[in-house]
Amino acid sequence: MDAGRLSRIAAVAANTHREAVRERVLYNLVFFAIVMILSGLLLGQLSIRQDEKIIKDIGLAAMDVFGTLIGVFLGVSLMSKEIERRSLYPLLAKPLSREEFLAGKFLGLSFTLFVNVSVMAAGLYATLLATGRGADPALLKAVLPIYQGLVLVVAIAVLFSTVTSSALAAVGTVCVVVAGRYSDVVRNMRDVVPDAPTWLIEGLYYAMPNFRNFDFKNRVVYGDPVGWNDIGFVTVYWLLYLALTLGAAAAAFRSRDFH
Amino acid sequence: MQSSSSPALRIAGLTKTYRLGLTGRVTRQALHPLDLEVRRGEIFGYLGPNGSGKTTTLKVLMGLVRADTGTVEVLGLPLADPAWRRRAGYLPEHPYFYDYLTPAEYLGYAGRLLGLEAGLIAARSDELLRLVGLSDSRDVPMRRFSKGMVQRLGLAQALLNDPEIVFLDEPMSGLDPIGRHMVRNIILGLRERGKTVFFSTHILPDAETLCDRLALLRAGRLLKVGRLDEILSIDISHFEVLCSGGGAAAREAAAGAGAGAAREIGERWRVEIDESALPALVAAVTAAGARVLGVQPVRESLEEYFFREMGGDTARDPWTLGD
Repeated sequence: MDAGRLSRIAAVAANTHREAVRERVLYNLVFFAIVMILSGLLLGQLSIRQDEKIIKDIGLAAMDVFGTLIGVFLGVSLMSKEIERRSLYPLLAKPLSREEFLAGKFLGLSFTLFVNVSVMAAGLYATLLATGRGADPALLKAVLPIYQGLVLVVAIAVLFSTVTSSALAAVGTVCVVVAGRYSDVVRNMRDVVPDAPTWLIEGLYYAMPNFRNFDFKNRVVYGDPVGWNDIGFVTVYWLLYLALTLGAAAAAFRSRDFH
Repeated sequence: MQSSSSPALRIAGLTKTYRLGLTGRVTRQALHPLDLEVRRGEIFGYLGPNGSGKTTTLKVLMGLVRADTGTVEVLGLPLADPAWRRRAGYLPEHPYFYDYLTPAEYLGYAGRLLGLEAGLIAARSDELLRLVGLSDSRDVPMRRFSKGMVQRLGLAQALLNDPEIVFLDEPMSGLDPIGRHMVRNIILGLRERGKTVFFSTHILPDAETLCDRLALLRAGRLLKVGRLDEILSIDISHFEVLCSGGGAAAREAAAGAGAGAAREIGERWRVEIDESALPALVAAVTAAGARVLGVQPVRESLEEYFFREMGGDTARDPWTLGD
């Protein structure tokens, strides 16, 4: 990849991150901090081992939930705004290809999520230390897959934003994320609709990214060892779905008329 | 092949049909086969009523809309070659730039996309913000900008790379008289420096004042291309005759010769007459005791021409059901 292309992608990514910061999207971190402080204070009464698990559990769950909300919001709004407000018109008239714009946008959003998750993880560790518990490095084995899941959420939001309006993109993204978190329900659809063809059920099951694969929260909190091979498997799975989602987004964006 | 002798812009057989709805059955042919050539160093006006295809043409050129058929060359390079984009500028219609950025930040962003060095971006930004009258607002977030200020910044970003050709879509839109005067001067300054300016507008006096050549577009079809005098010369349809004296008898004689009602201008009066009846009118009013002070051929203004040619078309619903 030539330096010019990299520079253009980096410029779009940097501007995307700047937009997220200046539009006060990262204010969600304040809510996260409040949740963590309150949980630390309220659970201080419980027994030593119990409250540590609860703080970790609440911290990771809040990271996942806040992160998903912010991922959907960021992915849809920052991409759709470029199209709906036509701010990308003068940009695409410059030597910036649509693929470069999309890549820059995605990387900027992913970096913003990285900052989000990093600050939230730091908040979780700070709460543990402030309430007299140790900083368990194993927590990172739950945090990394949470981040990977959030990046996938952003990729799905970007895909929907390239083909439809912001409102429909938000609905579509939430549907896919919810279906992906409860993919077992899709697989067990036969129990509810016995006549549904197997190919359809299996097709839906495999087409939806299974967000449960990124959920190591319980295993980490309850001390169940998580090997790097588990993380490696999830990373391959993540990269595969990212490639498919972004490839589809690039194809849709490339053929879209802006009128 | 790139060549400085090639036209600044060459469009051949360009067509575009928009399809609406899920089935795509509702269609509108925005551009019928369009052929156009813009010479280097000229100010070229692209005129037409709303829905005539001006913005579609510009969007095709900028890669925002894909044409169905046709070829386009800009500065001697094919449309798909991104190299010409480094040497071109574009101001979209009703531009929007990010609310959260300042003009200096936006120009910095645009400059990076153009591949300009940081020092050059800073120098050009200062120069252009001064040119468009935004020096005092260079560090003010654009959410505080008026429509006219946004338009001025749009012009600045279009000129950031000192382009050889500039595409301006309704550049006077949203500007007050001072802003319009400024844009006119900038456009004329670009021509003095040998740049090519292609601009679409529906503000006809601007086109009349600025353009070396212009094209008139109606319902996606090119109606006429040429210099203003070439387009309007065929339309000298009547003469104005300025007279004095002669009293009511001379005025009656003029009416008898086929002139319209006389308009009084102090001690003088003026009538309009077709060319064929002009000698008879002059003879009649002179015989009635009036003095003919002057005979002036009246050339149709661009505005009159525009309304005559376009008027019937602007209200037509352009959407049709396809096959």
